[in-house]
Formats: sequence, C-alpha cells, structure tokens
Amino acid sequence: MTKRITIDPITRIEGHLRVDIEVENNAVSNAWASCTMWRGIEKILEGRDPREAWLFTQRFCGVCTTVHALASVRGVEDALKLEIPANAQYIRNLILINHGLHDHTVHFYHLSALDWVDVLQIPKADPAKTSALAESISPWTGNSRNEMRAAQEKVKAVAASGQLGIFTNGYWGHPQMHLDPNVNLLAFSHYLQALEYQRKANQVVGMLGGKTPHIQNLTVGGVSNAINLDSQATLGMERLEAIKVLMDEVTAFVQQVYFVDACAIAAFYPDWFHIGGGVRNYLAVPDLPRDAAATVFDLPGGFIEDGNLSSVKVLQKASDQAFRDGVTEDVTHSYYEGKKALHPWKGETVPQVTEWEAEKKYSWVKAPRFQGKPMQVGPLSQVLIGYAQGHPLTRKWTDKALETVSTVSGRKVTINDMQSTMGRHLARAIRAAMLSDLATQHWQLLVDNVAKGDTAIHNNPVFPKGEIAGVGTHEAPRGTLSHWMVIEDGKIRNYQAVVPSTWNASPRDGAGVSGPYEASLMRSPVADPEKPLEVIRTIHSFDPCMACACHAFDPTGTRIATVKVL
Amino acid sequence: MKRVLIAGVGNILLGDDGVGPYVVRKLAANYVFEDGVELEDLGTPALDFIDHITGLDALIVVDAVNNGEPAGTITLYRKEDLTRQVSGVRMDPHSPALRESLLAAEWFGGSPKDVTLVGVSGESFSARCVLSEPVQAAVERAMRQILIALSRIGVGFVRQFAESPARTWWMRKPGEVQA
Repeated sequence: MTKRITIDPITRIEGHLRVDIEVENNAVSNAWASCTMWRGIEKILEGRDPREAWLFTQRFCGVCTTVHALASVRGVEDALKLEIPANAQYIRNLILINHGLHDHTVHFYHLSALDWVDVLQIPKADPAKTSALAESISPWTGNSRNEMRAAQEKVKAVAASGQLGIFTNGYWGHPQMHLDPNVNLLAFSHYLQALEYQRKANQVVGMLGGKTPHIQNLTVGGVSNAINLDSQATLGMERLEAIKVLMDEVTAFVQQVYFVDACAIAAFYPDWFHIGGGVRNYLAVPDLPRDAAATVFDLPGGFIEDGNLSSVKVLQKASDQAFRDGVTEDVTHSYYEGKKALHPWKGETVPQVTEWEAEKKYSWVKAPRFQGKPMQVGPLSQVLIGYAQGHPLTRKWTDKALETVSTVSGRKVTINDMQSTMGRHLARAIRAAMLSDLATQHWQLLVDNVAKGDTAIHNNPVFPKGEIAGVGTHEAPRGTLSHWMVIEDGKIRNYQAVVPSTWNASPRDGAGVSGPYEASLMRSPVADPEKPLEVIRTIHSFDPCMACACHAFDPTGTRIATVKVL
Repeated sequence: MKRVLIAGVGNILLGDDGVGPYVVRKLAANYVFEDGVELEDLGTPALDFIDHITGLDALIVVDAVNNGEPAGTITLYRKEDLTRQVSGVRMDPHSPALRESLLAAEWFGGSPKDVTLVGVSGESFSARCVLSEPVQAAVERAMRQILIALSRIGVGFVRQFAESPARTWWMRKPGEVQA
C-alpha cells in the first residue's frame, strides 16, 4: 500500500517549502520538493542603479540578509572589474564569518537539534552524571552540575505548565529518538547557552554592519566603515578590541560546545551516516579572500562528481570561468514559461501558474544545473571539496570530528560516510569550527594592514556606456550563492539570484533528474507515516531557507502534515 | 526612562508586507519621541528578534497580518494573543520570528511586559515595492494606534512642525532621485 504524505507547513501568504513523499513498506518510494511562492523579486531591480541593488537584495530574506548584500556588490564589482581595498575584504570577511557562526549555531541548536533530542526524556536525567559526562569530553566551563540542574528545572517547569510547544517541534517520544536522558539534558542545556552565543556573533555583524538584520556598511567598491585606529567615532582599536573579545567567546563556544555536541549526537545515531545521501555531485565557490585582488582564499572551492572525492576539480577564483560558463536553470517542472535551460545572464522569469502536478509543474523554484548536473551545495560540499584538495584547515577539523565520532560510537566513520543526513550536520559544525579559527586570522589581517598605514576602504565605481555582465559569488552558510546581472548604460537590465536553497530544493529537470532534497529522501525509512520524523531530519540537515518568505503575522499558526492513502 | 521599541516588521519587496517598515519610517519623519524610545525598521528578522526585544519595558510591533479582515483593517493584538498559538513542525528558519521570539524571551527572562501588535490586514503580497490603496490609506490610522499605545504607558512624543520626508527609499521608482 502506498501512502502519499504532504508536509506543507504553509499559511496563505507565506511562501515556504512543501515536501510530498510516497511511502511504501515504511520507506520513501518517491519525493517532490516544491516552493510555494513566487521568487520573482529580482524583477524589482530592473532599471535600477546597480550601486543600490544590494539594499534591495538583502531584503530577500531576513535570515540570509548579509549574504545577498555581499553577493550583489561583488557581482557589480565583477562586471566593472573593480578591485576593492584589502581593508574592505577583511571587514566583509569578518561580517560573513560572524554571520555564519551565528547562523550555524542557530540552525544546529534551535532549528534542528530537537529532531534528535527528546525533551520528554530530560526529567529522567541525572544532572551530576550529565555534568561528569560533559566535563569528560570538553573543557567548557558551562557544564557544571548546577548548570545542568538549572536546565532540567526549566524543562520540568515548562512541562508542568503544559507549554512544551515553545520548542515547536512535535515528535517527542518518537521511537526513533535514541539519546540517553543525560545526553538529552546536556544538549538541551547547550540549547539555552547557544542563544547567548549566537547573539554575540550577531553583535559583531551589527558592530561592523551598523545594524542587523540588514547591514548598512557596504558600497559597490568596498565598505563605508571609516578607519582610524585612534578614534572612537570610527572603526578604531577600541571597537576592534571589543569585536575580538566577542569573537573569542564565540570561538570557545563553537569549538568546545557546538562541535563537541554535533560529534556526540552523531555518535548516538550512527545509522544516519547511511541515510539521506541523495545527489552526490558537490559544488562550492572559494571565499574569504586574503588579499585585495582576491587571488588567495581561506575557504577552497571546487566540484566533485558522483561522490568520488578523487574527481575533485578546483575553482581558483570567486567567479571562475568554469562556474561562469557552467550554470544553467531549467524550468520544465517550475511554474515559469520556457522549455530550454538558460544561463542566468539570459534567464527569464515569466510565471506560468498551474496546479501542483507531480508529472508536470510543481514548484516556484527553478532547477539550477552545473555542467548539466544537479549539485548539492552547503557546508557538506565545502568540507568534501576542501578535504579532497588536502586543505589543511578542513582536514584538521574533519579528521578531529571523524575520530571523535568513531571513538564515541565504537564504529569507524569515514569521510565517505559524510555523504549523508548526519554528515551534513557534522559538516556544518566542522565549517563553524573552521570559521571560528579564521575569525581571529582575518581580524589580525585587518589590524596589521591598518597598522601599516593603509586606511583605504573604497574604490569608486565608474559605469561604462553599453552592456557589461557580472556574477557575484559567496559561499554562504547554506552554500553557493550567485547573483548574476547584466548592466546596460549603468542600469540593471537583468538580475538573477541563484541561491543555495534553489540548488538543493531544485525540482526535477527536463531529463527528469531530481534535485538534492528529493534525491536525499529516496529510500529513507519512515517508521510512522503520521509522524514523518525521518523526512524532517533529512530536510532539516540541509538547513532549508526558501529566501522568499513574507512575514505577515498569521494569528492561526496553521501547521499541517497531511497523509493520504493512494 | 522607559525602554520602548517601535519595530516595523515585514518584507519591503512584497507589497503590503512592507507596511511595517513604512509606518515606522513615517513616524520617525513626523514625530520626536522621549528618550528611551527607539524606532526600527527590522525588515524580516528571525530569531535575532529576541535580541531586539530583551530588556524592553514595552514593545510595539507594526506588521501586516493575515486574519481574513478586509484590507486596511487595523487589529490590535496583545502579548497573549501572540503567544497563545503553538507552532508545529518547522521547515525553515523564517517561521520563528515574532511568536517564538516572544516565547523565548519570556522563558529566558527579559521579555517586555507590555506588547502590542498593530496589525494591518493586507491585500496583495506579490513582489512589488508599493502598498495597495487600502493599506496605504490605513497608514495614518496605524500611526495613531502606535501613538495611543505610547500614551497608554505614559511615554511622550511631539509632532514636528514641518514634516520631513520619510526615508522609504525602496518606494522610489527606478531612476528617481530622492528629494
């Protein structure tokens, strides 16, 4: 018997992710991922001044706000072949590092940990044992018995008041929850602490960007942070020191808590290193340039085909020719007119609305392809690509993670096992640890450069008559982001944003080949079709963000998973 | 001194969803407020909303609402109205915003005692940077409700003699220069 399950937590006007699966004998036999709202906001940019495009694009979304600002200014700079000052690179890098640390921490603890942690088990934990366990695996100072007891009391109080819904999950007591009560308590106490540390990371974004969400300090050509080490009114030593203090605290949390917890949870769910692989082509663009001309990067880019790490190809530049030439978007199964897969510079966004039809059109997301293939993007791609290239920082944290998980679980977990649902979570923690190391390095690069007497922050853009085209790339928390634009006489003529969740939530293409979400769900176990926790786990592991959300408050708060017997 | 935040929330690129940022910028251009009052266009915050509301005495949010009322209707919601509903499965990080940030702030301490949502029912949430007619017409009323909410908690404000232009840059047409 086949059951069709629709997981569609939407309200009337919020555009969100919808997942449809067919379940046969407790396993997924078919899957469709769709976005339920039109992402045509790029149209708003047509005819506008490229220098202000970033102000609009960063409003695509409140979660990924900085990333769309950055990709936009980089795209215009690419079109103009405009180099930006080294200081501007470092300031932008510090923003994107801290945004990433904030985002990864929030994703792990507040958006996905409760897929694995069962709050109902916490009252059964022994705070003393939890504390002893925690102190045996991490030097973190927030693991005391009192800390654990306080966290447990909070849960007990909330449970007694009947308000567990604050945690906005719903699958407590599911048979697929496997952590012992003490580990549940440990993870939960860190869920509370994580709120404080994600805030500190976000504070750094605010201190450099002026405001969060929606930073204010970018310009096409650099940044607008005036630098003077001796002045308190500008970016001076006092503010830089304050930023350093915050970053050090965040680094300690990421390396001693988040990274350790991700390893521990992974070790308790070793089966999940063999579930949820899906599309095994991986793509990442290089990011965190170390110089003004952006020739050396601290996060390596490249691509891998068919899960074969030895096939890795390197993308040397932020807008490498292979990338510029290789990207197309197909709309066969998307609600747009057109049949041919188009390059983003030639991209069209003409809606063609139909019903949701599994065999025809079913999503507002286009199907991006790289050299004709679907690509998985995100921290996992970046980690695999860096690892395959022998990138030392990637190797350092990945080897540490694999070793820790193997030791705690008693099962050998290898780099190839990372191509899975759990691998995506672990890769995000690895990336966070890498970013935390790089935070200090890029802070130092900035301070040293300024100390040499260089206070340049901006190069003036000059727009030529005629047509130019550019692409701005950024390896964002959710993966490869690219803003493609055609500029004519200094005005935007075409603008297409190919966002990470477009790669991952891609519907089928003209050849019927599924994107990463869809492929990752195939053959996934589903113990209880009424509570498809396994599906949620795999989808959450991608950290979906549909970049098209409308924020209108809906007082009904409708959330639904409907099950139909076919 | 009372710490008060007047937050405009919503996506300026999606029609009537931009009413929150619009109203806040309009208020900032027309009124001067007592010390301790902050006005912010917060766009589309997620969990970082918690950081903006923790430690406040009062929070006034202006946002588009989807409550089935005719476009331009203003509905006031109190804290209990906002936190009563329990969310279910969450697919992406957008969903937490208002309700969950309030619940979280409540739970960790520091949640504002006084919370008002000035909700403006929208008509169109498609991709454009202008408000629909009925929502545009409701802007003055939404501003008045915010001022009433301030008076209720004893926070003062004065209207500026000369109106300055609201910094609603996203409403400029392509090629238009801001006055």
